[in-house]
Amino acid sequence: MSPVLDGFAVVVEPTNLLYCLVGVVIGMLVGVLPGLGPAATIAILLPITLGIEPVTAIIMLAGIFYGAQYGGTITSVLLRLPGEASSVVTVFDGHALARQGKAGTALGIAAIGSFVGGTLAIIALSVVAPLVAEFALDFGPPEYTMLALLGILLVATVSGGGMLKALIAAAVGLLLATVGRDGFTSAERFTFDSLSLADGLDFVPIAMGLFGLGEILYTLETRHRAAHSPTTVANVWPSRSDLRQSSGAIGRGGVIGFVLGILPGGGAVLASLAAYAVEKRRSRTPERFGHGAVEGIAAPETANNAAATSSFIPLLSLGLPANATMAVIFGALLIQGVTPGPQLVTENPELFWGVVNSMYIGNILLLIMSIPLVGLFVRILRVRPTILAPITVLITLIGAYTVNNSVFDIGLVVFFGVLGYLMKKLGFDPGPLVLAFVLGSLLESSLRRSLLLFEGDPGGFLTRPISGTLFVLFLAVALLPAARTVWRTRTADPRRSEESV
Amino acid sequence: MHTRLRVHRRTATVAVIAAVIALPGCGGNVGDEGSKDQTSFPDRAITLLVGQDPGGSTDLTARAAAKPAGADLDETVTVVNKPGANGAVAAKELAGAKADGHTLMLFVGSLAYITPLAVSADEAVDINDYEVVTGLSQDDYVLVASPKSGFKTVKDIVDADRSIKYGTTGVGTGSHLSQALLFSQAKVKATAVPFDGGAPTLTAVLGGQVDVASIQLGEAQPQIKAGKITPLVTFAEKRPTYMADIPTAVEAGYDVPVQQSRAVVAPKGTPKEVVDRLRTAFGKAFEDKKYQDFNTQRLLTPNEVEGAELLKQWTGSLKTYRALVDKYRIDMSGN
Repeated sequence: MSPVLDGFAVVVEPTNLLYCLVGVVIGMLVGVLPGLGPAATIAILLPITLGIEPVTAIIMLAGIFYGAQYGGTITSVLLRLPGEASSVVTVFDGHALARQGKAGTALGIAAIGSFVGGTLAIIALSVVAPLVAEFALDFGPPEYTMLALLGILLVATVSGGGMLKALIAAAVGLLLATVGRDGFTSAERFTFDSLSLADGLDFVPIAMGLFGLGEILYTLETRHRAAHSPTTVANVWPSRSDLRQSSGAIGRGGVIGFVLGILPGGGAVLASLAAYAVEKRRSRTPERFGHGAVEGIAAPETANNAAATSSFIPLLSLGLPANATMAVIFGALLIQGVTPGPQLVTENPELFWGVVNSMYIGNILLLIMSIPLVGLFVRILRVRPTILAPITVLITLIGAYTVNNSVFDIGLVVFFGVLGYLMKKLGFDPGPLVLAFVLGSLLESSLRRSLLLFEGDPGGFLTRPISGTLFVLFLAVALLPAARTVWRTRTADPRRSEESV
Repeated sequence: MHTRLRVHRRTATVAVIAAVIALPGCGGNVGDEGSKDQTSFPDRAITLLVGQDPGGSTDLTARAAAKPAGADLDETVTVVNKPGANGAVAAKELAGAKADGHTLMLFVGSLAYITPLAVSADEAVDINDYEVVTGLSQDDYVLVASPKSGFKTVKDIVDADRSIKYGTTGVGTGSHLSQALLFSQAKVKATAVPFDGGAPTLTAVLGGQVDVASIQLGEAQPQIKAGKITPLVTFAEKRPTYMADIPTAVEAGYDVPVQQSRAVVAPKGTPKEVVDRLRTAFGKAFEDKKYQDFNTQRLLTPNEVEGAELLKQWTGSLKTYRALVDKYRIDMSGN
């Protein structure tokens, strides 16, 4: 236990505390600026980290990473602009609440959920990291195939609006995921001979366009048509009943987030989606979801923060970066002369525990910062759309540019902005499209890898314990609603016949 | 509030006018200096394009070299990531950049001598369309086996007499080429399973999803040290100093020297003086202790040769690989 306590000693050194604060503040700002992601920010800051101690540097970079998770919620709720794939789900209910003038409630619940999710995940990480790290290795292509399938199925069930429209949007998303040079045969697919499309489309320009720009274009139009009722922003904090209502969602979201976050690749997205789906399914009033249910924010926000924390497990205990941001932190460690690998905990215990324990402090700092900032940020909604819209567009375009330093991506934002506007006009929700896009590439590559491993025999999915279990779960989720209706009509029928008699 | 704003605006207007008046004068001066000689190079910050994502080996190499080279040039060398198509996106941008030495690129060898084997001719990047400033270093591949497979040597694989699955870091990469060549020479029935980069491939070997994989030394080393994976052979020409106890594929009897190589490259037509000046700056970087430490830590073998020598190496590699691929009828796109 002593290395753990030594870790705390490392954290409370004034320099480390300061850099932790700097990290979470930068992270929060980065999260708030749509498009500009933590990976790009950390890459920009890499040279600065050279001059400071390894532990201090990583504490700061980790702060940026989980701080951005907090900040990302703010734009999702207020402006309907998810900065990362894992906060797309938050938009459903978060923005609906903001529309009802309850932006404060939404942000407050999200901050509390994020804090609880993050903190629970750190405790779990400290206790079981070495044990669960191996769990990530049991997830091969077949398991990811099943997870992605399950995820796509959830996409169709969670979104608001009609099921048919959600499925159409999801299908378009899957199609968009096929753009780019095929990773198995190097054949060009829908690239129109453009090198910029060779690696496929990126999440950021699609999300920024469909959600952000599309929404802005739409509101500009409606403003001309009818008097836009000014959004009333009451600085309401979540009430006791809100908290009571979302406590279960926070607990379940934390567990789902922690478990799925350990998996390299797509963990956080699946976590937020699964947490939301579970709440909607459990709820006695599922029709509230998508129209401002507090659980609809609490669950995915808790889950994505817990996932952000547990995604450190593969990096710190196996030396395997789980996502783009982790890859840059991995690079930062290398620059510092520390090679992340299975022996990091034994060779550099002060680094391992210093970073892990700094996350407690970071989460507390973020919660404290959130309290005054929520009040400040909700005022954004009071800004006139004529001023807010152009600023949002500008920041969005800059953010999209920074992902790949590519002007082409700016063009993509504009293209998807127009598409988003048309979708909104025709009553399509962009959520399923974006989520299916993210899961689509995971599904395709995992499925094809699996079939290579099984030598073309799809029966192989059932021979592996985890993928087999996931397949059964998939069937259950797919067939349960149908089974339920059958059961209901059967039980309802005799009663009806009795009444008629 | 309003008056203060107006004052500011007025000063701003004055400043703009002053700048406009001053500009033509400035332009003239710059032109004069430019026509005299190239000693004014560099007159502003230098951009070093990297065609890979931040955090990877190529990106880190660029950052490690950029700092000391910039110190010698007395200008900042900024690393800008333009990821896409194994660097082809960045290479295209470099080709269109002004050939004045202020835009450079960290070019990966695989783009010049392996990718052309996998993609159509018009997409392939030709290194002869660029000016090579200097070679940097070479990165070797090591064939590692999952403990579940039980393989300790290449002979074990051959003797196992079964079809094996090998992980690659992607189609048309050195990882793919090295194993495709090895297994076709060893007459082992093997299926390539491409992953998206080094880390996922390593994960697959660790988890026993694939039997073996070819991974860059620096990436595999921590796992080898921890005993999580077994090294079989390296694909180096001679044993890398970092893994002196592991045989090379050539020693094991297979003709498959495959390496990743990296170089600094400028647009075609960059003046010779500028290229020379840059080469001197990177030469200073190679003497920098921190840069050398970086190479050691990442298990990179210095290959700090001049432009002409590097061109010879890379065009030679392309010829060799093309011949080998034809001889063993390997389809680098797909399997």
